[in-house]
Amino acid sequence: FRFKDSLAEDLQSADLVISHAGAGSCLETLEKGKPLIVVINDKLMDNHQLELAKQLHRDGYVLYCNCSTLVETLQSMDLAALKPFPPGQPEKFASFLDKVFGLQ
Amino acid sequence: TGGHTTEILRLLSCLSESYSPRHYVLADSDKMSEAKIRSFEQKRAETFSKSQFTLDRIPRSREVRQSWISSVVTTLYSILYSLPLTYKRKPDLILCNGPGTCVPVCLSAFLLGLLRIKRTIIVYVESICRVETLSLSGKILYYFSDYFIVQWPDLKKKYPKSVYLGRIV
Repeated sequence: FRFKDSLAEDLQSADLVISHAGAGSCLETLEKGKPLIVVINDKLMDNHQLELAKQLHRDGYVLYCNCSTLVETLQSMDLAALKPFPPGQPEKFASFLDKVFGLQ
Repeated sequence: TGGHTTEILRLLSCLSESYSPRHYVLADSDKMSEAKIRSFEQKRAETFSKSQFTLDRIPRSREVRQSWISSVVTTLYSILYSLPLTYKRKPDLILCNGPGTCVPVCLSAFLLGLLRIKRTIIVYVESICRVETLSLSGKILYYFSDYFIVQWPDLKKKYPKSVYLGRIV
């Protein structure tokens, strides 16, 4: 498909997601608890986009490969080794701001 | 823009109604954020009936990969454009998270602060995508913000004046 407003439905029914390293794609997938393989296109990718994908991989949340190693990754992957992705905590931010403004 | 809007709305999600009215500032070229914001505020109004917000647009200060020199010119133009808006709203707090749009708004507020017209607290939250390096907006506003929040420990090490609260979006 080309562009959809939301991939939420497709994500919900997927068993495995293979995606580029865009932050939105990665985070949305991880938040739905789906296993994710991030494929890096070294030629196309803007360096900063890689930072998040690399970190997520380092922390054990995603698998990581490039176009040429994708098949090999799919054959040897161990999805059970992926860690569950804990949600962000905006309440910590709210708490911080409340302290700044003396609202606590 | 897109990812920034989603992040900032998440940041707003746990704020109490003390943080009201909310004034959203968007780039004129941004097509998608308005719908997300309205949807967020509509939901919010279901819980907090007196909830108020406004939406303003300013010229986009910089296109992705725009040259350095022309960026300075377009940003200056955006600052001039933002000044009357910031002066009109006189916000107590500016919360931003990185799109080029936020730089002129923050700088105009900073200026109004220097001129003793209105002291605004500027809180900058760097995007979750920024793990090892700061965005250009971040590099600039690190020096102009009152609180600069990063979401990964590497950045806290590199920018010691920043605040690290972990992942907050």
